[in-house]
Order: sequence, then C-alpha cells, then structure tokens
Amino acid sequence: MSDKHLSTQFDAELSGISGRVLEMGGLVESQVTRALYALTQFSEETATHVLLQEERVNQMEIEIDRDLSAIIARRQPTARDLRLLIAISKAIANLERVGDEAARIARTVQRLMNTGVSARLRLPVSDLNFEAELAIAQLRKALDAFARLDTAKALEVLKQDDQIDQEFDGLLRKLITYMMEDPRTISSSIDLVFVAKAIERVGDHAKNLAEAIIYVVKGTDVRHTSVQDVENVVR
Amino acid sequence: MDTRVNLPTNEKVKISVRDLNFYYGGFLALKNINLDIPERKVTAFIGPSGCGKSTLLRVFNRMFELYPEQRAEGSISLDGENILKSKMDVTLIRAKIGMVFQKPTPFPMSIYDNIAFGVRLFETLPRVEMDERVEWALKKSALWNEVKDKLNQSGSSLSGGQQQRLCIARGIAIKPEVLLLDEPCSALDPISTGKIEELIHELKSDYTVMIVTHNMQQAARCSDYTAYMYLGDLVEFGPTNELFMKPKKKDTEDYITGRFG
Amino acid sequence: MSAFATMDAARMGMHRKRKVMNVVALTLALGAMAFGLFWLIWILIETVRLGVGGLALSVFTESTPPPLAETGGLANAIVGSLLMVSLATALGTPIGVMAGVYLAEYGKTTWLGAVTGFINDILLSAPSIVIGLFIYAAVVATTKTFSGYAGVLALALIVIPVVVRTTENMLSLIPNALREAAYALGTPKWKVIASVTLKAARAGVITGVLLALARIAGETAPLLFTALSNQFFTANMGEPMASLPVTIFKFAMSPYQNWQELAWAGVFLITLGVLALNILARVLFRNKH
Repeated sequence: MSDKHLSTQFDAELSGISGRVLEMGGLVESQVTRALYALTQFSEETATHVLLQEERVNQMEIEIDRDLSAIIARRQPTARDLRLLIAISKAIANLERVGDEAARIARTVQRLMNTGVSARLRLPVSDLNFEAELAIAQLRKALDAFARLDTAKALEVLKQDDQIDQEFDGLLRKLITYMMEDPRTISSSIDLVFVAKAIERVGDHAKNLAEAIIYVVKGTDVRHTSVQDVENVVR
Repeated sequence: MDTRVNLPTNEKVKISVRDLNFYYGGFLALKNINLDIPERKVTAFIGPSGCGKSTLLRVFNRMFELYPEQRAEGSISLDGENILKSKMDVTLIRAKIGMVFQKPTPFPMSIYDNIAFGVRLFETLPRVEMDERVEWALKKSALWNEVKDKLNQSGSSLSGGQQQRLCIARGIAIKPEVLLLDEPCSALDPISTGKIEELIHELKSDYTVMIVTHNMQQAARCSDYTAYMYLGDLVEFGPTNELFMKPKKKDTEDYITGRFG
Repeated sequence: MSAFATMDAARMGMHRKRKVMNVVALTLALGAMAFGLFWLIWILIETVRLGVGGLALSVFTESTPPPLAETGGLANAIVGSLLMVSLATALGTPIGVMAGVYLAEYGKTTWLGAVTGFINDILLSAPSIVIGLFIYAAVVATTKTFSGYAGVLALALIVIPVVVRTTENMLSLIPNALREAAYALGTPKWKVIASVTLKAARAGVITGVLLALARIAGETAPLLFTALSNQFFTANMGEPMASLPVTIFKFAMSPYQNWQELAWAGVFLITLGVLALNILARVLFRNKH
C-alpha cells in the first residue's frame, strides 16, 4: 500500500486490515509449528495449548471479515483496492483452515498419546517433520509475499507446491509399508496419514494465498492455471 | 492519447471521432481525440474537473457554435457522415443528436407544450397523434403517471427531479438517435437520481447514450463503456467492468481509486 | 450558558460597539425613509383634497370651458391624452422590443450593437423638451401645422429608448442554459428568441412597456411644441389636440378659479392613472416570479 489515497482514513483502514491479516497469518503459522512440535516431542501440553488458541484464530477470521464488509460498504472500492479486499477475504478463509489443520494435528497427538509409548516410537514421525517444514516454509513465504505484494515470491510458492505433494505421496507409501508389516500400528498409522494430509493441505492453502496475491497485483485470476501460464502473467 | 477503434468487433459503431482538436480561443482544450462510440450502449465520460469531458460532449451536437471563440477541428462521423463539416444543417444534426443538461430548464409553457415544442419543429402532427407522442415520451421518462392530470400546468410547477425527467422526455420526443446527457443528476437528490439511472438503462434499448458524470459510481452503475479523460486527453477507453476492475493505465487506476485529486 | 460567561472582555466590548452601530444606522435609515414618505404623502393628500372636489360627471363629458364659465370638463384633454399615449405606445413598443432583442441576442459582440446601445442611452436621458423641439422642426414646421400625429411621434421617441433598455435587460437576465436547451432540440435562432427567450422574459418586457406608458402619460414639454392644445373636442389627429398635462399647465397658471379647479381634477386623474399603471406593472412582475 505504497501510494496514498486522497482519504488518509481509507489508507489507514487498508493498512490496518492488512496488518490484521498478517497477524492472523503469524498466529496460524505458530499454530502449525507448535502442533508439529507436539507431535514430534509427544507433548500433551503443547497440543492442549494449540487447541485453546484455535478459538482465537476463528475469532480473528470473524473480526476481519466484519471490518472487510464495512470497508466495502463505505468506500465502494474499485480496481486494485477492490481486488485487495477480495484477496483478503480469500486469505483469511484459507488461514482459518490452516488453523483447523493445526488443531486436527493437535487432536491426533492427544489420541496417539493414549496408545502406548512403544508403538509411537516406531512411527516415521521425523519424516512428517520434513514435510511439515516444507509446508511451514511455504506458508511463511506466502505471508511475506502478501505483506509486500511480491508476485515473484508468490510465483515461487506456486512452483514449490509440487514438492509437498511428492513428500506426501512418499509418506503415504511408507505408512502403508508399516501397516503391512505390523497390523498393530494400523490405527496410529492411519492417524499419521491424516496428519500428513493435513500438512499437505497447509501447503495448498499457502498456494491459494499466492494465487490471491497475483490477482491483486496483476488483476488476473490464476486459479486452475498451469504454472507456465502463471509465469507468463507475472512477467 | 491515441485510442483507435478499440471496440470488440461485435459492437456496431455509431459515432466515430477522429483527430479531434478543440480550441477555446488559443487554448487547446481537447487534444487529438480518437474514439468510437458503440451503438445502443451507454458510454460514460469520467475525469477530474477541467478534463474536457463536457467540452467533448458539446462538440457532438455542435453546441460550441453558439460561442464564436470556440472551434473544433477533425471529424466526427455519424453513420458515415462528418457532422463537423459546416455545410450540414446544424438544426437537423441537433434533431438527431439530442442533449439534456445539468440544470433542468423547462420552457415557459405548459408541460404538454414543452414536449410538443421540439416535435412541432420538424413534424406536423394532428392533435391526436401529438397527444400520443407526448404520452409516449412522458411514459418513457417515467413521468406520465405523475403529470397525466396536469399537462396544462406550467413546466416550472414540477419538482427538480420531475423537471429533469421532463427535459429528458422533451429530448426523446423528437426521436433522436443519440442522447447526450451532461451530468443529468448532479442537481438532484438520490431518489430522483435513482429514477433517472433506471431510465438510462431503459433508454439504451432505443438510443445510443453518452453521459458525462463526475460521480464515478454512477458511471460504474449506468454505463457499458467508460472513457477516462484528463487535461484534454483521452487516457483510456474500455468496457466499464474492465476499467473499474483492472484498468490498463496507472493514471486511470489512480483516479478511480481516489489516489489523486 | 457557560460559554458566554467565558467570552473575554475584549470580545464583549466589540460586540457592544457593533450593537450601537446597528441602532444608529437603523435610525438614520428610518429617518431618511420617513423624510421621503412625508413629502410623498403630503403631495398625495393635497392632490386628493384639491382634486376630488372638482370631480363630477361633467369632467368626463364636457370639453374645456372658457374662463369663468359655469360648466365644463376635461373631455377633450382626456380623450386627446388617451389617443396620443396609446398610439405612441403602439408605435414605440414594437420598435423598442425589436431593438432590444437585437441588442441582447445578436448585437452583444458587434460594433453596431455597441453603437446602438450607446445612442439609446443618450436618447434615454435626453430632455423631453429637446425631443419636442426636434419633432417641431422636423414635422410641425414642414407640415405647417401642430397635430396629434406630431405629438404621437414625440411621445414615441420617449417610449422607444425605455422599452429598448428594459427589453435588453430582461432578455439578458434569462440564463443561457434555457437558450441552449432550445438550441439542443434543433430550434433555429429566431424561434429560440420568439418562443422561448422572449416568452420567458415576457413579464419583464411588459412591465417595461407599462412603465414607459406611465411616463409619457405625464409628459408636458414635448406636447407643447407638437400637439399644442385645443379648447375644442377633436378626434382628428391631424389637428392640434388637447392633452391632460398641457391643459393642466395652462389652467393651473391662470387666475381663473374654474380653470384652477379643473387643473387639480386633471392632476388627480393623471396621478390616479400613473399609480394604477405602476401597481399593475408591479403585480404582473411579482406573479411571474
């Protein structure tokens, strides 16, 4: 939001709401990070913390949406401003679901804690960590790009989304192997599949955020478009 | 700014403006305007004060000829004929291209005569047909129900919004092909404005409409195509949806998002 | 309430001074008005007092009598005035209106318009006796007779500049927006002027005509050299003709009582007529706005 409107009020409102979005982004990012920590360290306490914070994430979505509607009603925004507000609406929906995924992981942790330590020790939790780090990095990059409306960075996010998908496929195969070797691990393995899926969805939400950024800056809706075509748009 | 034929090919061109330059004495007020106006659509002209949008509108019906220090160079083709050529009878041009002004100006005569005035200039209709024409014009301008019982009352006895609709009825009674609206709602309250915007939407099924407005939201609501002008230049012209969602020029975007005065 | 209490002393001082100035100015204005009204009312009272007494049916039916006669009236003077004034107005109004239209609608930027306007202003302020003498030299001397026609011409020359001026002013008051609206329909210029602009200025133009009429009703000097007067009744415009102002002039300065009474009756009639015309003009103008 570098160039100023005639109405400083409007400028303040836009930067205010953008700031709130980034605040929400930071919150859900930490939610995901903590949820993974809870999983890898088997920390009941951290899992509970994540579930408590989930309430805050939902609250933020509602508040930001309400402010959004007020700005649209009062300012009749056009062009870039309108695209930004539409993108914010999509962004917070995606961020709220990231929060949901983090909560889901935390609940899974709680469930796993009840199955017994030995079973847990043989699960490929560290591989999950790798996938998670990829996803969290994507999310962080997307939020950075959103803060600066940086389309080049957004494009990177889109390009790297495939990596997470591949990681997920690998994890799935590994877990299937585990389940075939030891049927007693089926229950927890399936839980881990869901966790891996949740992480993969975090990556998808980061991708959605990136698409929204390109929409704001370039005015083109790049959803359901091939990466090559998106590259042409961004150039 | 050069904006050659930039309409989609499925739009028929009603008026073609080519290389139009307009002078107030020695001052160049319109610079090299090139533009195609689509038929039976509403084209809006927006821009800050002094950008030349009203000036441009008044060239279309040669209104500037009333003032000796104003002159236009270039061509404006209506259905192929250049209307700026002096040998064209200006009263016939004005019968084809009607105009409604910012301030409602009912003539000092009855409502009926206000509408019949223009018709009587070019047609001799028997009383019955004239009555029908008056009724038709008033119905088209959404004024009939409010005045049908007082057609003999003076035009100035109506409210501001009604007077403006009367002026619109007066303009369409002579069945022009093009209607020029110069900030038709700026002197009116929101409800009257709303009624006239509804009217504009209906008018475009029969007429090519060009509207100058300083109210951007009105341009966004009412028009199919929008032209943005600045200091005598035509900066951008395109379908309204595109111009307001994704304008091609930064100057246009700055103006419509309120980033400069 | 507390806001006023905290207004500081300096401001209150200025406020009081302004209030005093208000009262002083108002008093002076009212005083000036009272002074003017006083004389006007006195004149009217005297006119009524001295004139009403002389009013009788005979004033309207009998012509001017010889001095010290028992009977007599002002019939010839009244008829003469009516004839000359109405003919002068009928002659001067169309010329004046058309010249006014030219000045307002065609001549605003031309040298001819400027010159015409200038000459009109001179004529407007020319002393009426000069106009009378001019017609005397041009018409009376050449036709070798005083006549009602000469009187009409002199009066018309007074009507014309008044009507030109008021017509031009009234037309100039009509906003250009109205003209443009008519042009936009494809109306040719003459029709815009005739059917729209003049119509819109109608009340003002008529007022101007009425005011010109009221003025010439009381003009004496021009008639002295043109229509002269006539002690007998005549409706023949080719002959010298009696008129109220000239008759009043002749009778008021005479030593004969019956003549003086008739003079006052004539004054009363003229005043009444001019008053009625002014009121009519005012009423007409107010209605249109």
